[in-house]
Amino acid sequence: MKKERMKDLFRDWRVLALLILLVLSVIAIYPHFDNNGNLTTNLQYGLDLQQGAWLQLEFKAEVVGFTTTEPVDTFVTNLSKSLDTDVIQVDASHLEIRKSFTQAELEPYFAAEGGTVVSYQPGISAATADLVKQILEQKINAMGTKDAKVNTLTGLNNVARYVRVEMAGVDMNQAQQIIGKQGKFEIRIQTTGNSTEHVLYGDSITSVQVPSQSPAGSGNWGVGFTLSEDGASTFQSAAIKYGATVDPSNHKLAMLLDNQTVYSAPLSQQLAGSLQSEPTRELFASTGTGTNGMQEATNLEIQLRAGALPVDVSVAGSGSTSASLGQHYMTMCIIAGILALIMVAFVIFYRYREPRIVLPMVLINASEIVILLGFISVIKFQMDLPTIAGLIAVLGTGIDQLVVITDEILHEGIVPSPNVYLKRLARALTIIVIAAATVLIAMLPLALMDLSTLKGFAIITMMGVIVGVVVTRPAYGKIIMEILSE
Amino acid sequence: MGLFHYNIEKYSPKQLVIIPMVLLAISLVVLAFVTVTVGMPVKPGIDFSGGTAVTVITPDTSNQIQAIFAGYPLVSVSEGLNNGKFITFGTMSDAQYQSLTALVESKYPDAQINQIGESFGKTLQDQAFIALIIAFIGMAIVVFVSFRTFIPSCAVVLSAFADMAMTAAMMNIVGIQLSLGTTAALLMLIGYSVDSDILLTTRVLKRQGKLNDKLTGAFRTGIIMTSTTIAAVTVLLIVSWAGQVEVIEEISAVLLMGLIFDILNTWLTNVGILKWYVLKGGGK
Repeated sequence: MKKERMKDLFRDWRVLALLILLVLSVIAIYPHFDNNGNLTTNLQYGLDLQQGAWLQLEFKAEVVGFTTTEPVDTFVTNLSKSLDTDVIQVDASHLEIRKSFTQAELEPYFAAEGGTVVSYQPGISAATADLVKQILEQKINAMGTKDAKVNTLTGLNNVARYVRVEMAGVDMNQAQQIIGKQGKFEIRIQTTGNSTEHVLYGDSITSVQVPSQSPAGSGNWGVGFTLSEDGASTFQSAAIKYGATVDPSNHKLAMLLDNQTVYSAPLSQQLAGSLQSEPTRELFASTGTGTNGMQEATNLEIQLRAGALPVDVSVAGSGSTSASLGQHYMTMCIIAGILALIMVAFVIFYRYREPRIVLPMVLINASEIVILLGFISVIKFQMDLPTIAGLIAVLGTGIDQLVVITDEILHEGIVPSPNVYLKRLARALTIIVIAAATVLIAMLPLALMDLSTLKGFAIITMMGVIVGVVVTRPAYGKIIMEILSE
Repeated sequence: MGLFHYNIEKYSPKQLVIIPMVLLAISLVVLAFVTVTVGMPVKPGIDFSGGTAVTVITPDTSNQIQAIFAGYPLVSVSEGLNNGKFITFGTMSDAQYQSLTALVESKYPDAQINQIGESFGKTLQDQAFIALIIAFIGMAIVVFVSFRTFIPSCAVVLSAFADMAMTAAMMNIVGIQLSLGTTAALLMLIGYSVDSDILLTTRVLKRQGKLNDKLTGAFRTGIIMTSTTIAAVTVLLIVSWAGQVEVIEEISAVLLMGLIFDILNTWLTNVGILKWYVLKGGGK
């Protein structure tokens, strides 16, 4: 190719766009040597390509649509008593029941309290799911695990049925321990000066309520919690013994999680008075007013639970990969990718017998993979095995479309004039766009649904199609034109 | 392409369509039979029915492995090259699963374990089914909107459907189960199998020239398209089989079968219907 033409080619915006994207992708992938002299990149890998474990937990609870003839508050309170579990109102017509019941089991209870079951969804509300996510993240962070992800899978109906926890660098046993581990929660009472005495441990707390205002509507936030019978009498005798009932302000109550004070406040006058004469099971820890008070109430709720989740869970699925097997898979994927590219090049060469056509085709094809990998680095997507299969399929189908362009332009073996060339390129692009649209639409449901690991695969495949249509095919059209018209 | 010569002009539309239609009928019978026996058109793997899969690289033989896991609901042990073993178990209780993972970790510390509970599997299965249906309908809509002619659009959609049905039937015959990976492969097929159909239909309907020339030209381009994809997927299949990367092995096997059926359905089914449509005066 003459120098002038070469220059023109690099000035063409389609080719320029491709080159710029390529450079950006390489920067995003950032291949470099780490401190140990090993070649690494910014790419992140899923749990089947590196050591790690995942757990998918199913919530033993349900969100139920309801109607009632009773006042809603009374209905909820009564239902909570008769079902012997926490019942939380999600919105005007939905309740979250934090224990596993079937719809048929619930119906008689609802009827007895003057209500009906309208809809039934196993799972928890989006708000509770958020709480679960926070609790799990806190637990995992406390363990100092390197790299962990907690995802609650919330459906379109705002009900979450599963939470998925992925932890890199741990095995199955460790993962189960981290998830199952509870913190040590303790209530202590101030005796004299800065010294405190032990009163209760977390096992005396039988339930923790969601943050609320007390009195209702006052803007004074806090968390209510319930003590066991024994806990309540221990609490009462400690309060009397250390003088908290007569002089609350000098004998504050402190709550500790794993030996860190998370809350400290005096007994209220009213509580101090009533504790003198009888034990109290229902307690309320107030945290202040406004958004700040509400936020602190949420934090305190998590701490009161000491790592216990608000709903019971069961393991719906789990898995782990060892370091050596992950490494093995990685090696296989790299071999497969390189061999696939060579094979494709070979088939193309067999057809066209012309290095000047084959070389740009293969290079464009490879550049598409580089751009996709760059995209994967930027969105910090964790590549897993299905994603890699998708990438290699992009390799195969990407070259298909380059074939369509080449054949369309080379129609009847004559190199066309620029005018005819543009017409033919446009026609080739029509075919490509329709084909691309079908792939996009086929992958769309997977990208929107939460089908476990397949979401990422679908997004990467769609991305591959878009990069192909928008960037690499037009650039290839320009390049092949220059080469052929020589 | 010099591999084989295929004279589309030699055959009448009826002759073209007869072989794939017989195959389609057989496939549908296979799918119906499997649906009656296991409740789904393709036998579900552990992703959908629940169960545990263990991948391990060990010189132990299948018999030794069976002896080790005698107390557990062992379903199958499959072998790859390089001592790779893929062991599957049926559903079991939480306690039994815990003891199994402990056993696996003590015997084979380098194993990969994956477990799916029964109800979670059911949820995944329902979603996968919905995804497949929506994807297929979506594809059909794109095709109809693009060509805006009834019969040629139907031909493309029918070819894609035949492709899926034959691939699914073949999965049953060669014993590949429906999993998350193979569902992904089937979804990919929906998108990719219409590539060559779209090329064919566009060339025949939107281009000037003699029908037979257009068909031959489309075939020349179309067959090389499918060949490149087949080349990439074959490499993937061989490497993943040799390296015992079960997920990729299944995906590539399904894609390979689908692409082979795609050649059949594009260059017999779709060509047959399109030729009949043009000959009777449709198109131009």
